[in-house]
Amino acid sequence: RLFCREKADFSDVKMLLTIRKQLRNHPALIPLFFFIGGGAAMSLMYLARLGLRNPDVSWDRKNNPEPWNKLSPNYQYKFFTVNMDYSKLKKDRPDF
Amino acid sequence: MAHPSQLGFQDAASPVMEELLHFHDHTLMIVFLISTLVLYIIVAMVTTKLTDKLILDSQVIEIIWTLLPAMILILIALPSLRILYLMDEINDPHLTIKAMGHQWYWSYEYTDYEDLGFDSYMIPTQDLAPGQFRLLETDHRMVVPLNSPTRILISADDVLHSWAVPSLGIKMDAVPGRLNQTAFITSRPGVFFGQCSEICGANHSFMPIVVEAVPLEHFENWSSMMLQDT
Repeated sequence: RLFCREKADFSDVKMLLTIRKQLRNHPALIPLFFFIGGGAAMSLMYLARLGLRNPDVSWDRKNNPEPWNKLSPNYQYKFFTVNMDYSKLKKDRPDF
Repeated sequence: MAHPSQLGFQDAASPVMEELLHFHDHTLMIVFLISTLVLYIIVAMVTTKLTDKLILDSQVIEIIWTLLPAMILILIALPSLRILYLMDEINDPHLTIKAMGHQWYWSYEYTDYEDLGFDSYMIPTQDLAPGQFRLLETDHRMVVPLNSPTRILISADDVLHSWAVPSLGIKMDAVPGRLNQTAFITSRPGVFFGQCSEICGANHSFMPIVVEAVPLEHFENWSSMMLQDT
């Protein structure tokens, strides 16, 4: 009986205490929390990275209206590169 | 090119396609192992006379069958993401070709140095020479130099098409009004076939793509010859 409770409670602290008691009785749930929590955390972090670092996103329409026009040839915008080293690229385009 | 009753991918002609092949082998092996295990368990459960009505739960097996699938998924995800980012890298192409999809043919433009452009229609079945492949051959092939990073810009003139060559591991939609970019390196000389991969009307199945990879001198001779013809 994994989810039996003694009385209905809605406060977050009581919920966490209940979860901790259930975890002590069923330690098999720990890997589940770890992987699901880790996956959710990684997805949210990547979304945050995309929202804040992606040059296609403009938050401040007054001071930074079109960040996609200010790309640097040496900066790595992608999360991960396999073979390319962006810091070693030459900048052979004219400035505007 | 594909051959009858083929089950796997075509032989790779570019490094990216080799990576995709190896990743597919790796993942398919994992899938086969899991499926064999599950099938064995099903047969064992169905054909046993042992029953235990008092087993309710077990913490150890729950931990095992949470950890093991999670590790297997990570083992699949890491190479997959690596290949995904690898395919996006376009490192200093030496040649840029524009492929435009029309109803129902492709046209290729090599405009880096001179103004070379030509259309590529499928050879109708009744006009095939002996040894040519039905529904795959074209009158003009897209010739590229061997071992040279080539960028290809793909768009369409009328409706959606898709430029696909399985041996090179490329498929990119040709969208009217949009310029899609992809790049490849042909690692061996040869002729590589593909077919239009987005429904585009009556002759959607009859507008194939043929890429011919040749050494650089042959490419230069071919492009001079094509320029003189047009």
